[in-house]
Parts: sequence; C-alpha cells; structure tokens
Amino acid sequence: MAADVRKVPEYCYQCVAGPDLLQVKVEDGVATEIEPNFRAAEVHPGGGKCCVKAYGLVQKTYNPNRLRTPMKRTNPQKGRDHDPGFVPISWDEVFDIVAGKLNEIRAKGLIDEVGYPRVAASFGGGGTPTYYMGTFPAFLSAWGPVDFSFGSGQGVKCYHSEHLYGELWHRAFTVCPDTPTTRFVLSFGANSEASAGVVGVWRHAEGRMNRHLKRVQLEPHLSITGACSAEWVPLKPKTDAAFLFGMLHAILHEHPREALDIRFLKDHTGSPYLIGPNGFYLRDPASQKPLLWDGRRNAAVPYDTPDTDPALEGEFTLDALELGADGETWNHTGVRAETAFTKLVRHMEPYTPDWAEKICDIRPGTVRRITAEYLEHAQVGATVEIDGETLPLRPVAIILGKTVTNGWGGYECCWARTLIPCLVGALEVPGGTLGTTVRLNRPATSRQASVKKGREGFMEFPMNPTDKEHWAERPAVRNAHATLVPLSANSPWSTALGPTHLAWLFRDGSPEHWPEVTAPELWFVYRTNPAISFWDTTALTRRIADFPFTVAFAYTIDETNWMADVLLPEATDLESLQLIRIGGTKFIEQFWDHEGFALRQPAVKPQGEARDFTDLATELAARTGLLEKYNRAINRGAACAPLSGEGYDFQLATDQKHSAEAIWDHVCRAASAEVTGGAAQDGLDWFRSNGYRTRPISRLTWYLFRELRNQGIRFEMPFQERLYRHGVELGNRLHERGIQWWNTQLTEYQTLPACKDFPGIWEKDATLHAKGEEYPFWLVTTRSMQYAWGGNAGIQLMDEVSKNLRGHGGVVINTSTAERLGIQEGDLVEVRSYLHGTKGPAMLRQGIRPDTLLMIGQFDHWATPYAKDMKAPSMNSLVPMSIALTDATGSAADLVKVSVRRVAA
Amino acid sequence: MNRNQPASVRPWHQTNWDWRAALNFLGGGTGTGLLIAAAFAGGAAYAGLALGALACVAFGLFWVWMEIGKPWRAINVVFHPQTSWMTRESLVAGPLFVVAIAAAWYGALWLVAGAALLAALFLYCQARILKASKGIPAWREPAIVPLVIATGLAEGTGLAIVALVATGNLATRWLIAALVVVLIVRDLMWRQYRRALARGGAPKGALDVLAGIDLPFSLVGNWGPAALLLAAIPDYAAANTLALIAGIAALGAGWFLKFTIVARAAFNQGFALPALPIRGQGKRVAGTKPGWEKPAQG
Amino acid sequence: MTRWAMAIDLRACVGCQTCTTACRHANATPPGVQWRKVLDVEQGEFPDVKRTFVPVGCMHCSDPPCMHVCPSTATKQRPDGIVTIDYDLCIGCGYCAVACPYQARHIVHEREFAYDDAPSKSEDARFDEKRMSVATKCTWCVDRIDDGLAKGLKPGVDPEATPACVNSCIANAYTFGDLHDPESNVSKKVDSTEWFRMHEELGTDPHIFYVVDEK
Repeated sequence: MAADVRKVPEYCYQCVAGPDLLQVKVEDGVATEIEPNFRAAEVHPGGGKCCVKAYGLVQKTYNPNRLRTPMKRTNPQKGRDHDPGFVPISWDEVFDIVAGKLNEIRAKGLIDEVGYPRVAASFGGGGTPTYYMGTFPAFLSAWGPVDFSFGSGQGVKCYHSEHLYGELWHRAFTVCPDTPTTRFVLSFGANSEASAGVVGVWRHAEGRMNRHLKRVQLEPHLSITGACSAEWVPLKPKTDAAFLFGMLHAILHEHPREALDIRFLKDHTGSPYLIGPNGFYLRDPASQKPLLWDGRRNAAVPYDTPDTDPALEGEFTLDALELGADGETWNHTGVRAETAFTKLVRHMEPYTPDWAEKICDIRPGTVRRITAEYLEHAQVGATVEIDGETLPLRPVAIILGKTVTNGWGGYECCWARTLIPCLVGALEVPGGTLGTTVRLNRPATSRQASVKKGREGFMEFPMNPTDKEHWAERPAVRNAHATLVPLSANSPWSTALGPTHLAWLFRDGSPEHWPEVTAPELWFVYRTNPAISFWDTTALTRRIADFPFTVAFAYTIDETNWMADVLLPEATDLESLQLIRIGGTKFIEQFWDHEGFALRQPAVKPQGEARDFTDLATELAARTGLLEKYNRAINRGAACAPLSGEGYDFQLATDQKHSAEAIWDHVCRAASAEVTGGAAQDGLDWFRSNGYRTRPISRLTWYLFRELRNQGIRFEMPFQERLYRHGVELGNRLHERGIQWWNTQLTEYQTLPACKDFPGIWEKDATLHAKGEEYPFWLVTTRSMQYAWGGNAGIQLMDEVSKNLRGHGGVVINTSTAERLGIQEGDLVEVRSYLHGTKGPAMLRQGIRPDTLLMIGQFDHWATPYAKDMKAPSMNSLVPMSIALTDATGSAADLVKVSVRRVAA
Repeated sequence: MNRNQPASVRPWHQTNWDWRAALNFLGGGTGTGLLIAAAFAGGAAYAGLALGALACVAFGLFWVWMEIGKPWRAINVVFHPQTSWMTRESLVAGPLFVVAIAAAWYGALWLVAGAALLAALFLYCQARILKASKGIPAWREPAIVPLVIATGLAEGTGLAIVALVATGNLATRWLIAALVVVLIVRDLMWRQYRRALARGGAPKGALDVLAGIDLPFSLVGNWGPAALLLAAIPDYAAANTLALIAGIAALGAGWFLKFTIVARAAFNQGFALPALPIRGQGKRVAGTKPGWEKPAQG
Repeated sequence: MTRWAMAIDLRACVGCQTCTTACRHANATPPGVQWRKVLDVEQGEFPDVKRTFVPVGCMHCSDPPCMHVCPSTATKQRPDGIVTIDYDLCIGCGYCAVACPYQARHIVHEREFAYDDAPSKSEDARFDEKRMSVATKCTWCVDRIDDGLAKGLKPGVDPEATPACVNSCIANAYTFGDLHDPESNVSKKVDSTEWFRMHEELGTDPHIFYVVDEK
C-alpha cells in the first residue's frame, strides 16, 4: 500500500471539445490513476466527467520514449531518409542556440526581404496547444510579427467554411444544436459522439434517453454518431448541399407558408429587402439603408423604419439607389424589384426533392419525409421563458460535419443550414441551431459583445478590405489570407484560419504574378505534426525539410520534429502549471451555466530534465531582451487573464524574471478577483487545492437572437449582397494584377448560391490525373474519440482500447463490395489515389456505402515511437493539395477518389 | 442473417485450455476405457493392460498439471467436491490408481471390478467437466456426456485389442464384437451430439469445425473399423491384423475427436443482443447474436 | 439484504471506451486485460444497418457457473451478489474461464508492459504479484464499495463508493445500486425501462440489465 496518496485536480484540453476537469491520483509521488473531478458535476455541463483521452495521460507521463533532455541535430541534411543524429545538450546550450538565432533575426529585422515575418510558428489541435504552452503567447506577443501561415491540418480537417460563414451569419465559429432543449437534429456528417467531447456525448445521451430526441445522421458511412442516431441516411459523399437544397425546395414549394415563421423572416432576416436589377440591395438614397416594402404605408421604406409590415414576397415598383462593387452606383426610377425572399423562392424551384434524391443516391421519399418531420418538430409559434425573458422555442437543429463544411460545397451547405432554421425562426433561439463561440470577431470572450449593427441592418463583420485603396495587395503572411479571403478577417486567429495549405503549396513555386513564398528563418512547432496530419504529406515532409531552422517543443521524436534543429522537452500535461478560462459557450458543445477558471498543475515532477513551458518562455524572453515586453504582455492578459482590473492589481514587475509559480500565482489572484467581482484574491495555493473557480451565468447568453433583437439587427439571410460585392471587388483586384488562377474560387461569391456538381469536382480532378487508372471509390475519414486532436498516437492505452471499435487501423469497406472484389476480412488491401498508395487490412462492414471506403485516424507514422509500429493506413498522403480543390475560403475537403485491390501480405 | 459480423463480437476460440488440457481428455478417456476393457477381456494380460491404462491417465493428468497457472498449489483442486467436477475427477484419481495397481498386483476380481468402476467414474467426471463448461456451447451440450464416455470406451477397447495383438495375445472374439458395438454407439452418440448442437444453436465456428470432421470420423473412425472388426470375427489368419488396424483406427479417431472438441471446436458463447436500443425515436428492429447459426432468442 | 446490480442504458452508450480505460486505471490491469470493455456490434445489411455499443464484463450472476466449477473454492459469491476471486486459493486452472459464458475472466502468466520490455513507474507502483497466473475479472470495484460503505457512503450515488466504470461514463449510461432497495437508482431504472439480460436463457441470472427502451 502506498504511504502517501493524493488526488490532484487538473484539466484536460487535449481536444477542442474540452476542457474536462479531472483529478489524478498520486501514490508516493507516482501518478497512477485518472478519474473525473467529481465535484465539477456541480458546474460542468458534462456531469464533470473526462473523456477517454484523459486516461492516456498517465502513460503519456511515463512513456519511456519521451525526450528527457534538450537535443541538438548533428546531421545538417534534413529529410525523411536522413537520420537527424540528435544528441543531448544542456538547457543552457539550447537556450544559447535558440536565443542566438532569434537575436540574429532581430538584428536583421523581423520582416524578410519579401515582406513576410522571419519567424513562423505552428500549433495544432484547433488552438488547444495554447492551453499547454503557459506564457509562450506572451513571448510571441513581445516578439512582434510571427507568421502562423503554415497549417497542420486546418482547412482540410476542420469546419472551415463553417468557421468563416458561421461567424459572418451568427457568430458561429462552430455550430451546435441547443441540445438540452432540441427534439430533432439533422446531422450531416457531424460526428458528435466522437468529436463533441464529454459534453456533447452527455447532452445527446440525455436527450435520447429522456426526451425522445431524434437525430437523423446523413453521411456515407455509419459512424459512431450515426450508430447513436435514430436513423442513418447513407448520402453519397459531397452531396449534402443537394439534400439541403431539396429540403429548401420542399419547404418553400410544397408546404404552406403557415409552416414558416413569417414574423421571424420579416423582422429578423433580410428576406423582405428589395433587390435591384444588378443584384444588389435597393437603398434609400439619403441614408443608403436597404429598402423593404411596407404594407402599411404601401411604400418602400428603410429596413429600420418603425411600425411597418414588411412584405415578405412580391414585386414592387419604386425609386431607389443601388450600390454595386467598387463604388459603382445606379439611381433607379420606377424600377421593378422583388423581395429577397421571392428571389429565393424562385431560385430554389429547380431543386426538387426527387432531383436531390437522385444526386444523393438515397431512397426516394427521404427528403420529403425528413423535411416534414423537421417542420413538424419546429413548433412555430411556441415560446419559452428564460430568466424572465420570452424567447421563441424551436426544438429543431441542423448541424454539419467535416468534409461537409469545408472544400467546395461548404458555402452552399453552410448557407442552407443557416437559412432553413431562419425559415422557421430556429436560428439562435432555444431548441434551435446555435453558434458556439467567436474566433474571427472581437472580443473573443463574448459572442454578444461582438455584435455590432452595420449599415445594412446586419451584424458588422471585420472583412478584409477588397476595395482598391485598402486591399492588401502584398500579403503580410505566407498564406495571404487577407489578400485572397476577405472572410478570414483580421483577428489573431485569422492567419491560422486562412488558406493555410497555400503557404506550403507556394513553397514549391509561386503561381503567376505572386510574390515568392520564402521559408521562415526560424519555425516554432508545438503539439503539431503536419508531416502526418496534413494532406499530401509526402510533399509536405519535403517542404518541412527545406526550413533552415526549426525549434520544436517536443514530447517524443515525431515525423515533423525529425526535421528540427533543436528539441526542447517541455513538462507535459500532469507536470506543468497553467490557468485557463472555462465555461460560457464554446465549441463543440460546451454550453455552461457557469464561467470561471481552472488550473493545471504539476501532479508529479517532470520526467528527466523537462521544463515548464512558462519557464521556457521566460528564459527566451530574457535572452532576447524582451523581458519587459513579455511581462507587460502577461500583465495585459496574454496568460489567461489581465492582472489588473477594477479594485485589484496583481501586475508583475516588468524588469525581472519571474518563476512559473510566481507568474501563475499572480494570474490566479487576478482570476479570483475577476470571477468574484474583487471579493476573493486567492492565489495559486487555493487553485491547487480547489482546481477551479466559477460563477453562474444566465442561459440567455446562449442565444444570440436575443442580442440581435435588442439591437434591432437582422440575420443576413437569405441574400448575400455583401459577399457578392466583396467577390466582385476581389476579382477586380486580382485581375488588375493579372492573376487568373483564383478565378474558380471567385465563382463562389454568389448572392443566392447554386447547387453545383460538387462530387464532380473530385471526379474530374481524378480523371484529369488518372493516367489510365480508374479511381471508382470515394475515400473518407471519420473522427475517433480515442485520438481526435490528441496527438496521442504513441499512447499504448489508446491503441488498445480503440481496437474495440471497428475500423481503427484498417480500411473499412462495404461487405458486398469486398465480396465482388474478392476481398475478405483482414486481407491486406492497397488503396491508391492518383497521388499515392497506402496499405492496410480490410475491415468489412455493412454500415458503409458500396462506393465508399473509410480510414479512421491517419497513422502512417514512421518516426513516432510506438505509433510507427502500428502499420496503419493513412489517407493523408493520398489527398492532393491543389488550387483546383481549394474553395473560396481557402479550404479543401478530406476526400479523394481511389482504387482498392487486394495485395500480397 | 448478417453476412458480416465483426470478429471482435463473434464467438472466438477459447484460449484457456490448449492441447495440454486436450491431452488430459485423451489420456484419461483412453486410460479409463482401457481399464474397463481389460477388466472384461484382459485375462492374463490384465496387469500389463491396467498399468498401461494408468500410464495413460497419469500422462493426461501430468499435462493438465503443466497447464495450470499455479502448479504448486495443485492440491487446492480438491477443495470443492460439492459442485466442481474437476474436484470430483481429482478425488477419483487417487483411489483409481491405488485400486488399479492393487488389482494389477493381486488380480482379485473384486479389485479388478473396483478399478473398472473407478475408471468409469473418472471417465464420467471428465465428461461432466466438459458439460459444466457453460461458456463453451460445444461442451455444455448434454449429449457430450454419452459421446465422451462412448469414445473413451472405444479408445480403451481399441487400445486393448492393439495391445493384445501387438504382444502376441489373441483378442477375444467377443472383445472384437464389443468394439463393434461401442463404435456403432459412438457414431450414434456423435450424430446425436451434432443434432442436439444444431438444434440448440451454436457458434458457427464450432459447427463448421465439427462438420469438417464428420466424414473422416465416421468413416475412418467408426464404420470403417467396425466393418474390419466384423470381418475379423471369423477366425482366420489375417483377422488379427484387421482387428489391429481397426483398434488403431478406433483409438486414433477418439483422440482426433476429443482433440477437435477441446482444442478446435471450443468457441465461446460470444455475445448476444436479444433487442437493440431505441435511440430517440427509432424503430424497433430484430436483435442479433453475432457468429451464431441461430438468431437471437427472446 | 443488499443485492448489487448494474443497469447499462444502451440508448446512451457511444462506445467511447472511457469505462474501459477507467477500469484499466482503477484496477491496474495489464495491457490487453480489460475487465470492462465495450463491444461494437453491427446488425442488418446495407442500407438497413444498426450499430450498437455494448459494455460487457462479469455479470455477477446469481447462479455463477464459474463458481460452481471452481475446484479450489477461490471463486465465491458474497451475500450482496458480488462474485469474487481469492487470489491465494486460485490455481489458475482456467476452468472458470471456460465456464463463464460472458468471456469475463482473464489469466495472465507473464508480466506485460505498455512499452517495451520494462515496466514504467506507474506500472511498477501498482504491480501485484498475487494476480499472476490466477483468474481475474471485474469485481464491481468491491474495495470501493466496501470502503465507501464503511465511510457511510452510498454505492451508486457517492463516487468514492461506486465502481470506476460507472463513475467514468460520459453518457450517463451506467446505473449501479441495490436492486433490493426499491428507491435505489438501479431499481428505478430497471422498473421504468425495457431491458434484457445477456444469455439469460443459460440460467445464470446475470445482474447487468441492458436497457433498450422506455416502458
């Protein structure tokens, strides 16, 4: 029996669905068990539980493959085939090397000759590494311009179009049902049960068990989430838009208008706005506000005129101003104009459910049946009172998953999934479709506070300018997000949400009329492994090897830091200090009734010479002469919370080095003061014992509709005048520079999107490069809770338990297809795209379309200890990286056409 | 019938008892069968046959001892006579050796009879050990009891004939005739066992394995040697050779059968879902019993 | 008299294996030994396919075949229904393992480690020589139950007195408690739902109730 047994509160934020609050049992100084922080059930919306990945942390701590000392590369040649020859060095030596390099860069200037930051940094996992890197953000802030252009999976593996369009339309970086209240969820490939974390699983399970929550899962294979749904509809890949458009047709053309929330459409959307002959809003010449037709006055009036009865449908004659792109204007007299809604109704006419079902390759009758169920569950007219305020109650939601929300078709899907709830008044209201958080809008801590009314009566959005005067002609970062993607905005997250593969792609040669994309002189990498996790990983690995100096904060050797120059072993999850914000609303299903702070702390001593990341950041700041700026950044709030506020001031002295304990003690005190309104000022010791501190918040903060209603703001639906204008202007700017290679992307800027042959884009791309081969199958992937975002492929326990689920480590194939091809369970098969091939054992299942193959997780590691012995297939080396497969937001989809055949073992 | 059941939920072959455990059933069955046969037809050769029989039983017990995780605690095996057939087998083993050795030494009829009785008890225990293994459908089928007993007797009788012929003794006509009867019974028991298994449902893997041995076992193990034995009943020059071949076949087929049942057809129960969950507003659908020939019950 | 029982709501279970890992932690089982695990079961043919996740382990049967066959009396049943194994008596014959129709028993003869051929600090800290070469299985975390009861806690309600799998479940699929107490969580769950017990036809009287629908 252990003499000394302690339970230490921690958080786990290995994936974007966190944080989970947990405690680790420490017996005689050795971490032995993870368990939920049971007390957290009082505040945590997932019953205070922690997910399966958290249980890997004990093995993570004691993994013998960990790097225990700083290392230096001895082989100057870089590449997969070149052993880096890492040798241990002292911390002093590694700091000398890194700080020396940084000081050398500082002396030359922070921006290189082409105009890009000389220092770049890549962090993985949807921003989660920031919850483990202590005060390193303060160091980066002190440093100055840093290029976050080099992506590690985002764009192809995230909800990219959702991030951009979602934030535009309802401050929805990601989207989620109001799960505790909703009764009907249409989920297009959103794998909530695998990727929405504890809270997602907890809330959906509660709905299934206690409230008859019906979820229909539409996707090519029967995922975990499909399994847990009431119904699975096996859609053909990339035909989600067709299904949604079929629903829109059915709602608008086959159901009476009474089925819709007419009041919502008239008062809270742009539906009644009048559209001019050139495709822009008709405006009041004086105020330039869009006009609608007021039934009371029988005249066109600005949208915000009080006491109106806006006409939802119809054609009217009026005098008005039309503002086009690049300042073009038209003054109309007696112009005939339809409402946006009427235009929508006509626009949707061709997209019948029968048309959609053929495209989607599903059973006839499905679209109409599901549409009717959606409308029935919407309960138009119902209301609910929350904290004394009456809100509409619409217990229906539509959510989209990856590969649906990124790449071509993403815009159309996001538009339709935002529009359909608007038709029944189910956007941002109890029971409906909700946004979770903001990353492109400011402030990042509050969706509500980010809502400001624009001239058109919609929410303002920090678009990157496209007008002649302000367009960012010279990209300031290598992926050129501000130049090419107006929607990517200008927040600290914007670079990482730009077309992050372009930085990699252009390293092999810039397209016509485009500046050279230089290699960063120093690249920081942490908790990311793009050489495995991105697409066309073979080429990507070569490009990583081209970087002259890479600094990796490293846990074990991996495929990316194989090319690093120095490795800095950081104290990992259970060994280091950090305070983070918890609560409020956040992706993916984290909707709390509380907000506050939680601590991660050393439950055990760091293994080997691993050091707390905060101490690493402080040392780097000191050795690069940035200590004062660094401390000031911390004081401002770069490490979780500002250190001063009303009635409290725990700011650090800026002229000296502080230990991690001292820094986090100050942060803890400030956090205590913030969350208690100054009543408490407890520091690190209090948090060490208690783990977290929260205060209750009103559930009204979940529903953005309330904020819009209060400010008289409308949802920007259905007509996309703003996007269209930016698209036209962007086209003008690019064409003025002679750039024609972004022309296809420009076609995405439409006022009312058309449903295109989206699968055909991939089919044509495969045919174009086929060289006589045929690629008849779709290859898709799906999330796994044991691994998603975790960077934990080297953890034995995850490997072991994930094998209890079908599909890990193999190629899932439909049983009938396999029989036709002479493939039996366990046979080694080779899956090839025109780019590359990968091999793995066949896993036969009924729950997958006959034309689709599935690979879960992408684990073709060749350097990461343990993972490299899994011999699992990966689609990442099969997915081509190209402009042709990149949409206007700069994303592509995790999708590729492939062949499959049995091969000798 | 779902053509594709995930391997992880289908019954898989048990891994706790391997060839060493199978040897216990081979040695024990043959040895006890031989002891019984010797009692009836040993005559002058009884002592040799009895000692040979004990060697077979000891051989089997030795291998099972080699299989258990804590061999130096083996004595704990006797702690549970109330319900454990393994305890009962071990409790019979001691007297069996004592009485059989005594019978071999003294040759007294009551000792010979006692040894045969204990051997029958031991054989019965072995059969019940399998039947009590509720986790293995191919073992727990009640029809396994007469089958294991029949094959033990067939093996023992076959070995008796082989031993007698090989040592220049004459196998009595009625021993030959007895083996014919035992082989016919064994085949009938085999058929009954397989019918019962199919009727009650069993893992497909087990049924396939058993179906795979049906023809060779019946033809080479039962009907073939029975025919040879019938041909050997008349007293002529080649009769003993025919009996010898038949004895070897009867013995070998028994070993083959038991090795198959213990080490190849011992698929476990697997898992079953008599009903599937209704998630939210889903429809009720039939349950599933992956890897079984029969659909889920209940 | 208390009779511990468990209900698992299959409508909730998502197959995440959190209970599997929590059990591996709480009971320090070696790699590959999962006293609790969740199956992934597919039913039907494309496109009419269902997939169900089913946590399995020892069912703590009221008529446990493992106990009846055990020659050493190592396997016993407590008055509260929990089936236990006395590691000091067990001879590792494996008879219980073939008698159990739930594949719930494990015998490990050689130490196994997560990585390479050497134990990590945490593996060393929790190694128990007594568990080598004997039968092991789910105990419903009997020590937690007993310690909890001694502290006046209620198993199934207070985490400290509740099996680790139940505590860990992120779908709230597990309910644990005293079946003989009509007010217990598990009694209420069993009374208010449709359920089945696995392989009930074998007469084992298992005490995990798989909930499939409301009543």
